[in-house]
Order: sequence, then structure tokens, then C-alpha cells
Amino acid sequence: MMKRTLVLASAAVAALGLVAGCSTGGDSGSGGTLGVAALEGGYGRDMYTKVIEAFEAAHPDVDVELRISKSIEDEISPNMKAGRFPDVVVLGQGRKAALTETLVKDKALEDLTPVLDTTIPGEDTTVGDKLIDGIVGNLNTNPYGTDQTYLMPMYYAPTGLFYNKGLFAQQGWEVPATWDEMFALGDTAKARGIALFTYPTAGYLDSFFFSLLADVGGEDFYNDVMTYQEGVWQTDEAQQVLDITTRLLDYAAPATVGYANEQDFTKNQQLILDNKALFMPNGTWIVGEMADAPRADGFQWGLTPLPAVSEGGDRYITTSVESAWIPSGAENKDTAKEFLAFLYSDEAAAIFAEANAIQPIKGIADTLSGENAEFYQVYEDPAVSPLVGGFASTAPVPGVDIKATLFDTANSIISGDKTKAQWQSALHDASEQLRQAGA
Amino acid sequence: MTTISAPPTDVGTPVPAPRRPRPGGTRGRGSGRFVFLCLLPALVLFVVFMIVPTVNVFRTSLYAWSGFSPDPRFVGFENFARLLDDQQFIRAFQNTVALLVVVTVVTMGVALFLAAVMTRQRMRGRTFYRFVLYVPSVLSVVVIAAIFSAVYDQENGLINGTLQALSLENLEQVWLGDQQIVLYSVAFAMVWQSIGYYMVLYMSSMSVVPEELYEAAALDGASSVTQFFTITLPLIWQNLRTTLTFFIMSAVNLSFVLVVALTGGGPDGSSEVLLSYMYKQAYTNSTYGYGMAIGVVIFVFSFLVSLLVSRTTRREPLQF
Repeated sequence: MMKRTLVLASAAVAALGLVAGCSTGGDSGSGGTLGVAALEGGYGRDMYTKVIEAFEAAHPDVDVELRISKSIEDEISPNMKAGRFPDVVVLGQGRKAALTETLVKDKALEDLTPVLDTTIPGEDTTVGDKLIDGIVGNLNTNPYGTDQTYLMPMYYAPTGLFYNKGLFAQQGWEVPATWDEMFALGDTAKARGIALFTYPTAGYLDSFFFSLLADVGGEDFYNDVMTYQEGVWQTDEAQQVLDITTRLLDYAAPATVGYANEQDFTKNQQLILDNKALFMPNGTWIVGEMADAPRADGFQWGLTPLPAVSEGGDRYITTSVESAWIPSGAENKDTAKEFLAFLYSDEAAAIFAEANAIQPIKGIADTLSGENAEFYQVYEDPAVSPLVGGFASTAPVPGVDIKATLFDTANSIISGDKTKAQWQSALHDASEQLRQAGA
Repeated sequence: MTTISAPPTDVGTPVPAPRRPRPGGTRGRGSGRFVFLCLLPALVLFVVFMIVPTVNVFRTSLYAWSGFSPDPRFVGFENFARLLDDQQFIRAFQNTVALLVVVTVVTMGVALFLAAVMTRQRMRGRTFYRFVLYVPSVLSVVVIAAIFSAVYDQENGLINGTLQALSLENLEQVWLGDQQIVLYSVAFAMVWQSIGYYMVLYMSSMSVVPEELYEAAALDGASSVTQFFTITLPLIWQNLRTTLTFFIMSAVNLSFVLVVALTGGGPDGSSEVLLSYMYKQAYTNSTYGYGMAIGVVIFVFSFLVSLLVSRTTRREPLQF
């Protein structure tokens, strides 16, 4: 009898251990511990460790636990599904796992508007005062189009058309300021065996389209498209956007579509370095990403906004902004907000800037050097305005992904598998379905 | 499963029926419980990690849910009704079926042929060939994707480079960029990956077929081809049936990893397969419930195809 009880007990222990094994790993929830999760992007992980050290030095009672990974979504979402949330997450939108977008759609983020009025620890300005104008209050930070800020802008970087400055100098070409000049240059370059345009993968067309929409129809039209106004894809402006794009895609390097996949996209980027294509949409990370790639003599990275639709027309430069947010399910929200405010202190900003992570803080552009200084120069041009945002969040609609419809179809336009009319009607359908799903 | 004997149900019998004598001594109630306890850990594991998640997939497919929000909305079969109108889903389904058919037929045919040649013909260096052909099956899919990215490169890849060297430029293709070709490019990579594995499986079952059968057939004047179809094939039939199930699973699973690593479903969704589309819907598009509905379709589809294949290939097992 004794033996049997023993066996039974050990089996029970084994089974319990199994169940318990699945549920460990959450944070202890004890006061004073702050869970921070961050994406390990191109800026590396050291800057977070340093910033956290600085924060802990100023707040001896707080213990910050950092989780950082290149696929941070995979590491934190299982716990989040089980109801255990990190307190602060530094993770932008546009990632494949779309964790930020999902929480936005779910309305599962903490309202961070009060953080903007918080005085930065150890300084006498508020967070809101320190940020550059126009960086909050757009769909990227206020995803529901209201006055409430849910996503704090962390790092910002211009995205636009990257090209080889050296080649333009050698050939005596001007960087085109209008689309007419652009297409004229396309013909000239074609005669020398150089394609006008390429893209790494179709997904990189996001910055291109956002800028073009605003260039063609102004910021109001851009917002109409982003918020799925009725019939917006059937307007003349939308027509013009697709006209310009299909015409540009005619000039795309022949290799583009074949290389526009996860495995080969750097080969498209290499076309620019090899002087086989003139322009590609990309972000400032390209310099680091292609640092070791071979390149043509005299190669020098340049960044330009899209050409204007007409002489002297407005030009917008899509600005990618990474975000920091607090999930509604977080336990230490007050400490988390304090931590967020600290991220904008001079001390933290200096640490971030050292790792090339540029925060949208007034006056920071003057402190930059090298290629970065050059890239952030594009904001100095009075005819160029920054454009932040992206498609508004709606309740998710099964099977409808307007980004995929807008960007990926470019591959089919180049290869001739779809026509402009099909593209336009697919966009119209997707936009209408999302509008009905409601913001 | 268990050895506990049922209590007698016959009320008319006053004395319990004598127990069946057991050859291994007497195993009473206690040992039955012991067996049960021994099975328990495995049973718990199986229930927790197999049954519960599977049931959850079915349950979630009836909800509109992003995956995180605390209030999933019950929508019944709406997710499934939507699938019928979803062109991308239909394309992904077609692609999966096409891969299933093409990869199965080609891999099975070639693997059988190679196995027969290697076991029946005393080829010189066959151990070496077997080794070389088996290597791809131990490679990680990411490595395979990198290899095939180099093979398919439109400018200086192995295929187009060879065609250029042979002055056959008009046969050159953009292997991963042409929407009519890309699926076959993926299929070829899958065949390349799995052929060695199945070849070794077939070789092992062919090698136990007694030599006398072939000798007798040869004396009767049967050619190698006749011997293959009348002796080899019927005798390894059970093995073939098993591998058919493997083919179905690998067509569904391997195609996902390979597509994600090699083409990302592109260009413009033309190489999307069911699992990659499920991932995109469940995560990228935040429609977890819809993604799980696709998961249910995959489950039911694989199950039905396996059942169908198993039924249609059923033969009386031949002994030797």
C-alpha cells in the first residue's frame, strides 16, 4: 500500500511539475521591478543597457529587467497571451509579426498623453516641449485619430530615394526636382544601360507611396487615404498616383522582381552600388546594411525626397518613427511612465545618439556627423515637409491587407500579370471593407 | 489498452465467471493501476501538448479574435464562409495541392528509380552516391533556401549561368520572379531536399526482398523492368503507403518553411501556400480566428487526403 501511494505521489508531482513548468517565466510582479522589452534593431543592444544603468542610478529603488531580441515579439507574446505583460515595450510598427498594430487594433495600449506633460527627471522641460513639432498628434502616435497619444515616438529617420551621389557628379546629372525631369533622366540613363528605379522588395514602397499621395493631393488627401474615406481610390488624385507609379515601374531595372524576395533583396540594393540603377526607396539603415558590399568608384550615398508633381510643388519626406508604448495590462504603469519620460532626457538622448538612434528632440540634428548629418539635412529644405503616419487602425478584417494590395501589386505591374485598373479596383475594395470595419 | 477485466454483468449467474488464465502469472487490479500510472505522464503530456491545442484551434476558428484582446467575439462559421470568397486563400490552396501532387509524383518516381538502380544493379561507388543524395535531407531549410537562391539567381545563378555557357540564352528564366514559374522552382527545391531520404527508405525495404525471387524471374526471362514491377513494387507496397502519408505532411509543412525563407510568398502572393497564408492572416493581419479557420481547413484537408490515399492504396500484404 505504501509503495502505491508513493508511486501515485510521484506521478502527481511529475504531472504538477509539467503544468508548473509551462507557467513560470513571468515577472514576479513585485513593486520596484520594471519589465522593459525592446527590439534589437540596427542600433544594437548596448544603448539600452547604458540607458537602463543611468535610470537605475537615478532611481535606486527600481530594478529594471531588460528583454531584448531581434524577434522580441516571439519572446513576449506567449506571456502576453497568458496575461503577463511587460511594462514598457520599444517596438515600432511595420514588423511582420505586427504586435504593435495588433494591440492598437485591440485598444490594448495605455493612454500616454499625460507623459507629454511630465517634466523630464532632472530637467525643467516637459517631454512634449522637447519633441520636435509635428512628431506627435499624427496617426503614428495617435492611432485612432483623436487627441490621445498612445505611442511615444522614439527614434526617427528619413526614408526616401537613395542614390549614388558620385555617379551624378561624374555624369553631370542633376537630381530631378519634378517627375518630368525624373522620367527625362530615366531615358538618358537608359541609353547608358542604367535603369532609373529599383526596390529591394515591394514592401519598401511604403515610404514611396505615402510621400507620393501627399505630394499629389496634399496632406488632407493623404489622410483621407490613410483613413479609408469613401471612394478615395476612385478620385483623380488616386488615379494620378497610380499613373506616376506605373510609369515609374516601367523604368524599373529588369532584375527587380526576381530579386524582390527575402533571400535576394540585397541584390537589388547592390544595383545602386554597382551603378546599374539610379534610385531606390529605402531608409538610413542602408548605409550600415550594405557597409561591406563592393561598390563603384567614387560611390557616395545620397538621399532625396520624391520629385515634386509640378514645378515648385510640395514635397513630403516620409519619416519612419519607432515607438515606445505601455500595454494596458502592465502592472507598474506609473514607474513605466517615469521611465518613458527619462528616455527623452539629455543623458539618455546622448547615449542613443551615440548608437545612431536619433530621437525626435529639438536641436539634435545639429549634433550629428558624417552621413547621418547629410541625411537629416533633408528636413532643412523649406519646400520639404516631414510626413509621419501610416494606415489608420481598424478592426481587423479577415483576408484584407491593404498594405499588401498597395505594395505587392507593384511586382505584378512590372511583370504584366495585373493592370493598373485591376490594381485600382483591388485598392478600392480593400479600402471600402476597412472603412466599413470602422476606425 | 488496459487489462482490467470487466465485472460480470450476467445477473443470472450467482458465481463470478472464472478468470481467463493468464500465461504471465496473475495480474490483478493493482497491476492494472500500476500500468495506468506508468502511462500517466505520457498521457498528460499528450493531452496538454496535443489534444488541448488542437481543440483550441477548432474553438478559436469560430471566433473573431486578434489573438490578444480579452474578449473574442463568437461568429460561428463566418470565418469559413469568408474563406470561400477569399481569392488569396483559394490561390494558396491551389498552390498547396499543386505542390502536393507534383512533389509526390516526382519524388516518389525518382526515389524509386534510384533505389532500384542502386540495390539491383551492382553500381560502382553506390555508397558514395547514396551519401551524396542523402546530404540534402540533413540540411536546414534556411541553408537550402540560400543554396537555391544561388541556383536560381537570374543573372549568374547555376541554371542561367549554365544556359549562358551553352549559348541557350533563350531558355533563361527569372526563376523566382516569374509568377508562372516560381511555384515549380519551389517544388524543385522540395524534391531535391527530400529525394535522398525516400531513396534510403526504399533501398532498405528493397534490400530485404529475397534474391531467389529475382533469380527465378531471371531464369524465366523476365527483364529488369518486369522484375521491378512484378517483384519489387508489390513487395515494398506497405512501405510505399507509409511514405505517401509522409509526402502529404511534408508538402504542407516543408513548403511553408521553404516559401517563407525563399520567396516570402511572392511575387505578389503567387507562391503563397496554406500555412504561409495562415501565418500572414493570424499574425500580420491580426485576424487570429480567421487564421485558425485556415488551420482547421489544413487539418481536415491533410486528414482526408491521408485517409483517401490510405484507402485507395490498400492491398493484401504480400509475404515472402
